[in-house]
Amino acid sequence: MILEVDGLQIHYGTAGGTVRAVDGASFAVPEGRIVGLVGESGCGKTTAVRAIMGVLAENGRRAGGRVVFKGKPIDETNTRPLLWRDIAYVPQSAMSSLDPVYTVGAQIVEVLTKRGRHGKTAARARAAELFDLVGLSENRLRDYPHQFSGGMRQRAAIAMALALEPSLLLADEPVTALDVIVQRQILDTLRALQQRLKLSMVLVTHDISVVAYLCDEVVVMYAGQVIESGPVREVLGRPRHPYTMGLRNAFPDLMSDALELVPIAGSPPDLADPPPGCRFTPRCPFALAACSTRPAAIGSDRAGAGNAHVSACLRDGEADHLRTFALDPVTWQRSSAYATS
Amino acid sequence: MVDAPETGVIAAPRRGRGQSILPVLRRMAAMPLKDPFAFAGLTIYVLFALVALLADQLAPVDPLEILFTKAGKVAANLGPSGEFPLGTTNLGRDIYAQLVHGTRSALAVGLSAAIIVATVGTVVGLVAGYFGGTTDAVLMRIADMALSLPFLPFVIVLTGFLGADTSNIVLAVALLLWPNSARVIRSQVLSLRERAYVEAARVTGASHARILFVHIAPNILPLSFVYAAIAIGWAIITEASVNFLGFGDPTSVSWGMMLQDAFTSQALSRGQYAWFVPPGICIILVVVAGFFISRGYEEVFMPRLRGR
Amino acid sequence: MRLVVERFAHNALALLAVTTILFFMFRLMPGTPLAAFINENLNADQQQAMLEQFGLDRPMWQQYFIYLGNLLQGEMGLSFFQRRPVTTILLEVLPNSIVLTLTSLIVAYIFGVLAGAWLAWRRGSWIERVAVPVVLATRAAPEFWIGMVLLALLSFNAGWFPSGGASSPGLAYDSNWERMLSLDYLHHLALPALTLALYLQGLPLLLMRSNMLEVMHEEFVTMARMKGLSEWRIVIGHAARNALLPVVTAFALGVGLSMGGNVVIETVFSWPGIGRLLVQAVSVHDYPLAQGAFLMIALVLALMNFVADLLYMVLDPRVSHGRRA
Repeated sequence: MILEVDGLQIHYGTAGGTVRAVDGASFAVPEGRIVGLVGESGCGKTTAVRAIMGVLAENGRRAGGRVVFKGKPIDETNTRPLLWRDIAYVPQSAMSSLDPVYTVGAQIVEVLTKRGRHGKTAARARAAELFDLVGLSENRLRDYPHQFSGGMRQRAAIAMALALEPSLLLADEPVTALDVIVQRQILDTLRALQQRLKLSMVLVTHDISVVAYLCDEVVVMYAGQVIESGPVREVLGRPRHPYTMGLRNAFPDLMSDALELVPIAGSPPDLADPPPGCRFTPRCPFALAACSTRPAAIGSDRAGAGNAHVSACLRDGEADHLRTFALDPVTWQRSSAYATS
Repeated sequence: MVDAPETGVIAAPRRGRGQSILPVLRRMAAMPLKDPFAFAGLTIYVLFALVALLADQLAPVDPLEILFTKAGKVAANLGPSGEFPLGTTNLGRDIYAQLVHGTRSALAVGLSAAIIVATVGTVVGLVAGYFGGTTDAVLMRIADMALSLPFLPFVIVLTGFLGADTSNIVLAVALLLWPNSARVIRSQVLSLRERAYVEAARVTGASHARILFVHIAPNILPLSFVYAAIAIGWAIITEASVNFLGFGDPTSVSWGMMLQDAFTSQALSRGQYAWFVPPGICIILVVVAGFFISRGYEEVFMPRLRGR
Repeated sequence: MRLVVERFAHNALALLAVTTILFFMFRLMPGTPLAAFINENLNADQQQAMLEQFGLDRPMWQQYFIYLGNLLQGEMGLSFFQRRPVTTILLEVLPNSIVLTLTSLIVAYIFGVLAGAWLAWRRGSWIERVAVPVVLATRAAPEFWIGMVLLALLSFNAGWFPSGGASSPGLAYDSNWERMLSLDYLHHLALPALTLALYLQGLPLLLMRSNMLEVMHEEFVTMARMKGLSEWRIVIGHAARNALLPVVTAFALGVGLSMGGNVVIETVFSWPGIGRLLVQAVSVHDYPLAQGAFLMIALVLALMNFVADLLYMVLDPRVSHGRRA
């Protein structure tokens, strides 16, 4: 495992009280694999990734848990030397993540000279090489971010992330802002580079089809917690948590047998005051009385070089049975008998 | 920060339907309680208003009367004492009485300019923003023109030639200040115009006047109020400057007149700080009160900036 | 390039409007513009001759175009009182105003930008809580009052600076340059410039502070953190570089605005500049001179507005470098 996150807790101090954006999330990234971190917006996936890099908003703090990178525990105090050299980041919107007043080339050179050991000339040559790697013409290095198209900016951001040959790439919704065709191209580029450079990667997304297309493993987050994880084929093929089952229904690409998209009714809980038991209880069509009292707990298991399929659901044992019901849209129209809100 | 809570970016004052003016008024009334700056600003206004009202009681001496000492000599250039809290001028006038009575003219100038600026700015902003098109273009070009006049020189030329009348100063200030508020209010109206409830009102056949004054105007009221608060300060500073340059009304008692009097009567070289420091402090307080109130507005009505 | 032309046209039109307003304002003033020339000894014929000499017998619109034509040639008529061409008088005092304005603005902006960035960096500290209201108070103080207090303290009381004027009496110089580079001139300049700087620093300071706070929340600053760049590089290289854009523009605007605002400061310190000239001209009803001084101030204002537009275009690649996708 190149990265292990164990019981991570991230709190935001707000006027409405402490918001537990990430509340005890655990997952691991095997060397050379792509792990998808998936969930609705607000589930804490972006926060988790930023916390790994030690970069949180001013009102955020790490309140607990461990992050272990290559066997070494890291936190805000010792992450900085690793940043970009070992752990690099691909942002969701390269437009706002690139400084508007410098050329893209200058920003790549900045990283190469300030964080790497390159001299000015070597850095320029390397920047051209990187642009070539991601499929951009090197004469675009002299352009400003606003002169690029969305897809090109995203490529430039990937080039910048690869500048110092990191071993772990954290990509936060890297293709969300793009149209479908460009999405495909960028994802293909990412996969090609990942295989060629033997990268390990965490891909944050809300889009299950992206996970299915690109990832080896998937970690499903709900309301700040991990509720299911494992190899992509298993988790998406035979989901064991009702939330994952519902999530799968809500996306078109994977559904071979169901014809209509079924959204999960209701909305995620308020993270300033989450419900006591499993947080999906209020929206879960299969919830039992015990679900609203027993907090979700997820184990971890190895399966060869990767992680085994695990779920936090109390009714994990009945997963096969529940799944058949989950395919029926009517199931999701029923409101939970144990809804607390 | 995608996952961070409270990312709601609100450019316009946030308010639900715009059906009635009461909630806005309530929020405006509550503003000083929510923001210490606004509270301080409002307190300053209230204090000065009280001083202006009670000027005759607080300082029974005529501010322009030439006073005599018990020995029968002109009480000129006296330092602060029990009898003359701030001393006397070179002509034997009571500085404290001038300061207290000056509050009246300051507030009169400030308030009248503020009312004109806020009214004209609001009406022009509303009309330009709501009707758009040629009306908007013409009004905004006029605003541009007014803004390209050098402020103080214009006021000086106008008052210098039209005569040293306080109402001329107010007029000149209003003439130059309305475009600022009109522009901001216009852009606010532009965004309000597109809101669902305004759309709804239009579809249900409400008249322009009704949409403007019932649905849109209440939302920009706090903004008009802020520009009025800032105009109070500007008008008072301008009036003081014009007085200081000698283009003021010599018969009225104002802080600017006091400063000019002190300056030309060598109070500086004599070190009569009690003469020229207090009027300046009073001007600062009134102007700063306007700044504080506009800051309070931003904090309460534009929560995006909160906590920064 | 189209933008440049557009901004130029915009500012030129504004200036034309100001000129027009001014023309009619002066024509509509009470009393004839020749009041100062005409005395009771002149008979009606002589008066008429004078009116003709000044072109005042023509219709208003003709006068207007004659006036515009003259202006374009830099011809602003004779001062009633000094009996010298207005243009000559203006050009004599203009350098003093420019020196005063630029010196104080440069001091104010260097201080304001540094202090503003620093306060943004120290956000939430007690020093910020104290500094912001204090800075607001300096913005709220009448300029001339700040001048009076400094004059009383530093000139009359401490005796460190002369109390007014631009040079000590009795000194003679071979050229204007020599005079303006002399220590004596700088000594006279110091106090008015300090006063003005004290008044002006609030704007860049508060602007820089709020821009910095705004920019520090931008995604690219977070990104710079993620890259592991040094705090210095993040704050100076990225945040401040972006936050500075509007401040630079404000500087150019400030030159234009404070030329007009200098009116009072120049009077307090008897600084022989264009503002004081305007005040004197107005108080003795010297119409041509007052009009000329006012136009000069308006011209500088329009010019600096244009410069501000240009600077903005040059400094912000989003404006200067078009889209290329």
